[in-house]
Amino acid sequence: MCFKNLPVAFDENGKAYLKEDIANPYEYKVVDLGLEQDKLKSLMEKNGFIRSVDYDPVTRVAGALAFHSVVDLKQGKVLSTNSMATLFRGYEIILKGRDPRDAAYISSRACGVCGGVHATTSALAIEMALGIKPPPLGIVMRNILLAIEYLYDHPLHLFLLAGPDYSEELVAATNPEMIPKAAKAKCKNKAVHGYDTILDIMKDLNPLKGQLYLEALTMTRVAREAYVQIGGKYPHPQSVVPGGISVTVTMSTLNEVYSRLIKFFDYGQKTTGIWDDVFDFFLEHDERYNQCGVRPATMADTGVWDRPDYYDGTFENCDKWGNARWSTPGVLVDGEVVTTNLSELNAGLEEFVEHSYYEKWDEHKYKTDAKGYPLSPNHPWNKDTIPKPGKQSWRDRYSWDTCPTWDRMPMEAGAYSRMYLTAKAKVAPKSQYLENTGHSMKINVPKYNLPAAELEWKIPEHWNAFERNRARAYCIPYSAMVALENWQLAQQLIRNGETAVSTPYEIPKTGTHIGFGAWGAGRGFLTHHLIVEKGLIQNYQIITPSTLNAAPRAPWGAPGPYEEAVLNTPILEKYDKPEDYKGIDILRAIRSFDPCMPCTTHIMAKDSDHVVTREVTTCACGIE
Amino acid sequence: MLSQEKSQPVPVESNKKTLIGTVGYHILGNHSMPPMLYSHLQELDLPVHVKVDELNWGPVAVVQMFQAEDPPFEKVIILCAVERSGRKIGQIDVFKWLGTLPDEEQIQACVGDAATGVISVENLLVIGEYFKVWKDEVYLVDVEPGPEIAGEDWTKDMQDAIPAIISTIKRLAITGVDDQMHLKFLQGNTIFKEESILK
Repeated sequence: MCFKNLPVAFDENGKAYLKEDIANPYEYKVVDLGLEQDKLKSLMEKNGFIRSVDYDPVTRVAGALAFHSVVDLKQGKVLSTNSMATLFRGYEIILKGRDPRDAAYISSRACGVCGGVHATTSALAIEMALGIKPPPLGIVMRNILLAIEYLYDHPLHLFLLAGPDYSEELVAATNPEMIPKAAKAKCKNKAVHGYDTILDIMKDLNPLKGQLYLEALTMTRVAREAYVQIGGKYPHPQSVVPGGISVTVTMSTLNEVYSRLIKFFDYGQKTTGIWDDVFDFFLEHDERYNQCGVRPATMADTGVWDRPDYYDGTFENCDKWGNARWSTPGVLVDGEVVTTNLSELNAGLEEFVEHSYYEKWDEHKYKTDAKGYPLSPNHPWNKDTIPKPGKQSWRDRYSWDTCPTWDRMPMEAGAYSRMYLTAKAKVAPKSQYLENTGHSMKINVPKYNLPAAELEWKIPEHWNAFERNRARAYCIPYSAMVALENWQLAQQLIRNGETAVSTPYEIPKTGTHIGFGAWGAGRGFLTHHLIVEKGLIQNYQIITPSTLNAAPRAPWGAPGPYEEAVLNTPILEKYDKPEDYKGIDILRAIRSFDPCMPCTTHIMAKDSDHVVTREVTTCACGIE
Repeated sequence: MLSQEKSQPVPVESNKKTLIGTVGYHILGNHSMPPMLYSHLQELDLPVHVKVDELNWGPVAVVQMFQAEDPPFEKVIILCAVERSGRKIGQIDVFKWLGTLPDEEQIQACVGDAATGVISVENLLVIGEYFKVWKDEVYLVDVEPGPEIAGEDWTKDMQDAIPAIISTIKRLAITGVDDQMHLKFLQGNTIFKEESILK
C-alpha cells in the first residue's frame, strides 16, 4: 500500500480502487498564506523594520528563477522563503496540435544542457502511446547517450557551478577561520587525487584559475566529443527518435566512444576522492553544516537506462521493465522506499496551481489509467495548461512553476535520487560493475591509469547540501560504469549482427493514444505525459526536476523542496557588518539541488537594509 | 526575402584567416536575424581563408574550438542583434572589441551562463577574452532588433537592412574596416553596464 494521502486503496488481489463513501475524494485544504506573511511582518516590526538597499555585484540578472528569503542575522536563522519561477516557457502550449514526431525536437529546446534527455523522454512517451518497441541496439545506444550526457553534466555542476562555493577564495571571504584548519588537514584520498591538504584542493577549486575548475572544462569537452558520435550534435541531438535512434552504429563508432569514456574511469575515482575529502572536512569542522539544506530524503525518480531484454515500451509491462532499469524508478519517503513501480509513480502524480500563474482546469477526463489505478483530476493526463499572468504576491501567487506532488507530498529530484533509490531498493538486476546493498552502492571501476578500485557511496544519515553533492560526485563513476556495461552489450549485438537501431512506425490518424515518458535529466526526474488524438498531440505535459524542486507552496501550505531546504539552513557565515553578508550557506543549499535554470537568489537580511543578489546559475532547463 | 549577391572582384585586404560567426536565439523575430542569416552567409562567394560558422553552441565549446584551430583565426566577425537604446530597428553598428575584462565574479557568471546553454554575445566575448582566443581583430556587426517578439518573421525595417548587413560583413571580411563604417568600441570591463558603448 504505497499511498497514505490519496484516496486510493488496494483489494486483496492488489488491484487499486478509489476509496468509497468519500464525497469529494480529491478535495484538499487551501491555506491562506497571508497569515504566514502577517505573522512574519509582525515579528519584523517588533524587531525593527526591513529596509532594502540593493547590494548588487551582479549587474546583469538573467534569471528565470528567483529565490526570496528573509534572514534573521542575529539569530542565524532563515525566517521565510519563496521560490519563484519568473519565466513562462510554454512548451506544453507550443506542442498542442502538432504531429507527435515534432515533440522530440521541440521539447529538446526546453533545456540548454539536457536537450537529449527531453528528446528521449518524448520518444519514450510516443513509444508507450503507440506501442513501439525499439531494437536492442537502439535501446543500448540511448543508454550510452544518456550516461555520457551525465558525464558532461556532473563535472560541470561539481566544479564550474557548485565547486567555487567550497573554494579557497569563497571560504576565505565567508568563513576565514576554516583556512588555517584546511591548511593543516591532510587528505585521506591523496593516493587517488594527489592533493596533500584540504587547502590544496580548495585552491584548485578557485573559479577560472584553479586546476580542478579548468580540468572540468576539459572533461566536458571529452564528454561532448563522445556524445556527438551518437547524437550528431550537442545539446540538441538529431538522432533520437521514437523507436530508437537514427544513426548507423558500427565498431568504429563504439571505439570513438570508448576512447573518451575510458578517461572517466580515473576521473570518477579522482572526483569522488576530492569531494569526500572536502565534505568530510566541512562536516568535521562544524557539525551544524549537517543542517545546511537539510530536508527529509523524500524524493522521486523515474529510473533510467533500459535493459534491452525487458523494455517493450508498453504501459502494461512498465513495472517490469522499470524495475529492470540500471537505475530503479520509484519514491522515497523520509529515506524509505514506498514504491519502485512506474505505474504507481505515475498514478500518484498531481500538479497544483494555487500559488502559480495558471488557472485551474475543470475537466477530469481520465479517471483511471489502463491498469485501473485511480487518477486525480490534478494528474498530468488531466491537466490543462492555462497561463494567467498576474501580480506577484507571497500571499497568493508568486511563481510560473506549478506544485507537483506525489501522494500529496512535494518531492525532491536529483541525480542523487536515482543513486539513493537504486542502492536502497536493491531491485535492479545484477550488474557487472555495480552492487546495491540496501545501504550503499558499490561501484567497481576498472583500471586505466589508476589501479582498479571499488568505490562505495553510502546512504547518509542527514540529507543535506553536502550529501547531495557528494552523491552527485559518485554519479560520475556510476554513469561511466553503466555506459561501459552498455558499450559491451552494443559490441556483442553488433558481433551478432543485430545492427538495427530503430523500429519503423506510423502515427495513427484515428483514436486516442496515451503514454508517458519517464527518463532522467542530469538533475533527475523527468516525465512527459502525452495524449495523441486523431494523429495530433491533444495534451503534452512536462514535469522537469526543477518543476519539482523549485515548486512554490502546496495549496495546503507545505513548502517546495528549495523552500524547505533553505528554511532549515543555519547561517554559519562570518561577517563583521550585515552589509558584508554574502549568503553562502543559502547559496550552498540551493546550488546543491543543481537548480535547473539561471537562478537568482535574493536574500533579504532582517534589520539590515540589505538585499544580497547572487546568481545560482546552472542549466537553462525550464519550468513549463 | 534574400537575394544572392553577384560575386564581384574586390580588393583583398590580406589573407587573414577569418571567421564570420552568428549568435542569437531562434524564433525571436528580429533577434533571430543572425542565426536565420547563417545559411545565406554560408552561400556567399567568399575567399577560402574566410569561414562561416554558427557560434550558438556555447562559448566554452567555442573557446575549445578556437584553441584547437591551427593556425588561429586572426579576424573574427560576429553578427548579432542586441537591443540597445537610442537606435532604430535595422540600424547597423560595427563595434571593435578592445578586450580587457570585467571582474572575476562577472567572468564566472558568464561561464556559468555559458556552461548551461545561455546564448549571449557578451558572454562569448568575455569568455573568449579570458581564455585568450581572440587574436588580432574581433568585430561585432550588431543590428538593432527592437523589442523581443516571439516568431519567425522579421519586421520590414530588419528585412530592408539585410543587403547592407551582408555588404558590411563582406567588406569587413575581405577588405577590412573602411571609412563608411564609423567604428564604435566595446570592452569587457564595461560591457555589462548601461553605457557600454565607447565612441
